Amino acid sequence: MLSVRVWVKRPGGSPTIVNVRQDDMVDDARDVILKKYQNALGKSYDAPDISIRVVPRHARPRSLDHTPGRGYDPQLSERMLNPDETITRVLDDYFPGGQSIDEALVIEVPPLPSVRQKTPRPSPHHGSGSHHDGHSGIESNEYFPLMPHTGYTQAPPTSSSQIREPSMAIITTGQVPNLPGSPGGANRRNVRPNTRRMQTSSPVVRPSPSEMGSVTPGVILLPRQNRSRVNSDASNTAQPVQAPPITAPTVEDNTQKASTPPARVASPLAKKLKEKKQHTSPAGLLPDGAVPPINVLIVEDNSINLQLLEAFMKRLKVRWQSAMNGKEAVDKWRAGGFHLVLMDIQLPVMNGLDATKEIRRLERVNSIGAFSQSPSSLSKEDAPAIPDPDEKDKLPNSILFKSPVIIVALTASSLQSDRHEALAAGCNDFLTKPVNFIWLERKVTEWGCMQALIDFDGWRKWKDFTKTENRGGNEGKGGKGFRNQRLVTGQKGSGGEPKPLEEGGGLIPPIG
Amino acid sequence: MPSKDTDTITTKETAAVEESESYQSEQALANSYDTGSIDRSVFDQILEMDDDEERDFSRTIVFGFMEQAEQSFKDMEDSLKGKDLAQLSSLGHFLKGSSATLGLVKVQDYCEKIQNLGSDPDKTRTTNADDREERLAGITSVLGEMKEEYKCVCVRFRKFYDDLNGDSQL
Repeated sequence: MLSVRVWVKRPGGSPTIVNVRQDDMVDDARDVILKKYQNALGKSYDAPDISIRVVPRHARPRSLDHTPGRGYDPQLSERMLNPDETITRVLDDYFPGGQSIDEALVIEVPPLPSVRQKTPRPSPHHGSGSHHDGHSGIESNEYFPLMPHTGYTQAPPTSSSQIREPSMAIITTGQVPNLPGSPGGANRRNVRPNTRRMQTSSPVVRPSPSEMGSVTPGVILLPRQNRSRVNSDASNTAQPVQAPPITAPTVEDNTQKASTPPARVASPLAKKLKEKKQHTSPAGLLPDGAVPPINVLIVEDNSINLQLLEAFMKRLKVRWQSAMNGKEAVDKWRAGGFHLVLMDIQLPVMNGLDATKEIRRLERVNSIGAFSQSPSSLSKEDAPAIPDPDEKDKLPNSILFKSPVIIVALTASSLQSDRHEALAAGCNDFLTKPVNFIWLERKVTEWGCMQALIDFDGWRKWKDFTKTENRGGNEGKGGKGFRNQRLVTGQKGSGGEPKPLEEGGGLIPPIG
Repeated sequence: MPSKDTDTITTKETAAVEESESYQSEQALANSYDTGSIDRSVFDQILEMDDDEERDFSRTIVFGFMEQAEQSFKDMEDSLKGKDLAQLSSLGHFLKGSSATLGLVKVQDYCEKIQNLGSDPDKTRTTNADDREERLAGITSVLGEMKEEYKCVCVRFRKFYDDLNGDSQL
């Protein structure tokens, strides 16, 4: 079925093309038009509300270049089209030789209550792609279809800027706004938030806390006052969102083996070889304290893998314990206080999937975290268990269980089915072995940040704990208010200056 | 912050020394990367964890692995004698984990083969004596190949870590 392009426009608006089939009636065209203007009209009007007006060539006030060669049929006057007319026939009658952009059909709708018309809502999903209707032959309903050669370069009087930048604002309001941020053209790039979206965890190394402070977007936990100081500290501990732009100084740092670890620009893997010599600080891969202070349980039966994971946790400066089989894992988890479990799947005694299921079961019967939020839905399946867990299932320190623990499965195979099995057992996530440390760090950061936000008290205790551990005296002295004082207890001095990384390194026993 | 500056200089020097010293052994190791025995990206991330020129950390890991591998080979041989397919499968899986962690892809593959040959998901074949013998024979041959591969890797690792000391023992 051949499709025909039809120029349409709203009064005062920029013309646009809709595709109709050759035998489509005006009524069909209304559907297409409504899809095209899905924001401006589609939200308020139904297809039958739309009237389509045709303005014959001669009647256009602007078309002074009335072509003398073409005969003028007096019967073809300006009028509303009837729904049952065949639209292509109308166009052929009115515009022999083809409809030009100036001859766009005019779409009219009954006025709405003024409030709605004054505040049209530009929508992010403005358009293309989703609005194919039943017309199988229609190739494109884009805002920017291939224009017919006529009249494009030779801009119609409605203004060229409209065509270049037909933002939603134009369509919805019918006039050209001088919006720099309208969703069209070159502006689009700038609109993207360039600081936040990059990552939650890719190992970007920040060169200095002062820069950190200046680029870090606000963190949820922060009090408003005294922002810069607290910022640098809080970003040091729980910052899922920060992604400092790579600034020149960080790049220069690459060449210098400083106590500030070298910067990693976008692709850490590519730089590995050069950088590996530079990891002289215990935080090697990582910025100081970029990982939230969580407690990780590593469940792994292979001593070599375990050693490596443990070393990595040390480097991330998170607390960890390890278990060599699933049974041990469940027992350790029962003691409480873990935020994240790295769970090998194939384990002796009790495998990782069973251990995961057991942990989830215990969480459920003890009403930990999210499970307790919806007792009604659960009570159907698990009614006796929730109010009264078996004595043997009771967790000793329920205060230590703020939320369900995050379980990241470590799967030996990359089989999709294994992953699904892990997720089905109750794992939140998985990593494939051999574990890529960058990915591992991401997982620890992402999940850890989430847990740190949930378990703020636990986080604070941990901060206090590290404070005493790390010779404690020189921090937290500058807090202005109580809240600040609580927050400024990080691994950095209160003035935002970094403690030498080597200081933390004292915690790491020499190996070998 | 004077202390920080000092640190900077020290670490710079250390790294420079480390670079020159380890260059040759890096080359040696690079050869085994070329043969496809070692996945460089995987092993490098262990090297990255080293924070001294002696490479104490990765050395511990690597030599620990060797110990583990040799023990595993022995255990596998014992299990072969005892015709314990399940145990062989389990041993294969065990060594697969650590060899994968070190990026020893070929060893890892052999281990996976042993794991699969030993495993019997649908329990029916266990009763078939011929089938069992066949699989035990398969494991025997894979184990032989794996040991050869292991020896090559081993030599390279030893060379790598010995050259670091400037003290060639092998």
